[in-house]
Amino acid sequence: MIKVENVHKRYGLRKILNGVSFTAEKGQITCLIGINGAGKSSLLHAIMGLTPIHGGHIAIDGQPLGTAGYERIAFVPDHLTMPPGMRINEAMRFMEDFYKGWNMARANDLLRFFGLESTERLGNMSKGTAAKFSLMLGLGQDTDYILMDEPFSGIDLFSREKITEVFSSELIEGRGVLFTTHEIAEMERLMDKAVLIQDGKIIRSFDCEAVRYQEGKSVLDVMREVYQS
Amino acid sequence: MKRYLKLVHMEVHRFRYLMLFLMGVILIFQVGAIISVLSRELSQRWDDPTYNGVRSPFVPEGMLSFTWVISNTNFWFAVPMLISVAVIGLYVFFVWYREWLGRSTFIYRLLMLPGARCQIYLAKLTAILIFVFSLVSYQLLLLPLQKLLFQMMVPAEWRVDSYWPEVIHANRALDLLIPRNIEQFLSIYGLGIMAVLIIFTGILLERSYRRIGILYGLLYVVGNAIVALYLPDLLGLGLPGTYLYPDEIVGLVVGVCLLLLVLSVVFGFRLLANKITV
Repeated sequence: MIKVENVHKRYGLRKILNGVSFTAEKGQITCLIGINGAGKSSLLHAIMGLTPIHGGHIAIDGQPLGTAGYERIAFVPDHLTMPPGMRINEAMRFMEDFYKGWNMARANDLLRFFGLESTERLGNMSKGTAAKFSLMLGLGQDTDYILMDEPFSGIDLFSREKITEVFSSELIEGRGVLFTTHEIAEMERLMDKAVLIQDGKIIRSFDCEAVRYQEGKSVLDVMREVYQS
Repeated sequence: MKRYLKLVHMEVHRFRYLMLFLMGVILIFQVGAIISVLSRELSQRWDDPTYNGVRSPFVPEGMLSFTWVISNTNFWFAVPMLISVAVIGLYVFFVWYREWLGRSTFIYRLLMLPGARCQIYLAKLTAILIFVFSLVSYQLLLLPLQKLLFQMMVPAEWRVDSYWPEVIHANRALDLLIPRNIEQFLSIYGLGIMAVLIIFTGILLERSYRRIGILYGLLYVVGNAIVALYLPDLLGLGLPGTYLYPDEIVGLVVGVCLLLLVLSVVFGFRLLANKITV
């Protein structure tokens, strides 16, 4: 379980995260929902140890992340994380060199699934291709958790469909998925838990199925209630 | 260790074209200068029978030596070296900032690599050192080739032999580049390595604290430079009547420089582990 407890983060005098607490379970898809600038990406960066926090505690299965933890948790940002001069196959070899949990067979399957050319240079990729490539790097690792930052941001319809397919496939079965988005249309039916964030605070966290069956509401209905009230 | 070596390999792979370019520049400038100086001298000898040859402390009258050629190409040896120093100076900044800039931010991946983050720092430092010492080695390899070129161009009856220490000493650029003793090595390369480490820490301060980090970084670099370069003056040790011998003052400065070096490395490691921001 990813446990975020009373996390504070500021840039200069501006508070980005203000006492954020929530959990994301293994085997579930948890979605962090909020408008641009709500603090979603900063929260993922904080969980991944890519930016320091100024208060609170973050634990993965009861332990602070630590550098060895990067074998257990993968992060897919909304941009490329490899040098633009690299080719896809070189990036895959880089992952194989550095991560014990890199699964080359699965990565090659994903390459075919996404229709990526292994010799393509990263710097020449379109935004949609780059998103699929980044997801391939994340899913190619045998990790317990995978974090994704805006996986659908600014990409074409067909790439969105391919990425959505991944969320309902065996590729993420058993893993804990935490992703951020401000567009939930594609993912509403697939997510298990939603966490609404605004101005660096969690304003509501709920089980999507319970809301659907007990209250008869969709995630979008709850969002309207929360954000328009 | 294996991960560190892989990172070093990757860093070297990334600057290979830049290094080849600098090697090309050095070759063109130096060989061009040698050919030009020798051609001028030889054509004068062929064209003017009354010409007595060069007057130089390096050769007997009427003769030519490799030392003389090298001493007459000072400027053209210095230019590519200055270009290389400038490029490496800029590369010290680029080696870090390129990871944050552009469409692809490699710093995400570097920070998410399993293993201690200090390996990233050490790999970048090692890459810079490999860059510098590869160019120095290349220069050392070029000298015998240039001597061969000299022997091919100048008829045997006009040639006198040169010794390597005298060749190196005859050219100010080479004299600086190739130290003759450990003190000279420390004062050139030791200070250079220390400067790189201090700048690395300055960059990491800026990358950790961003806007206010620019100030922190500048203060850190300037403060260290003042301490390292003006310590004897700051303590009044350079004045006549001081109770320390010159060797003791040098020892003190070397000790303080080593301390600053170690502090910079430790501070840099801590910033990379705990404070850095993507």
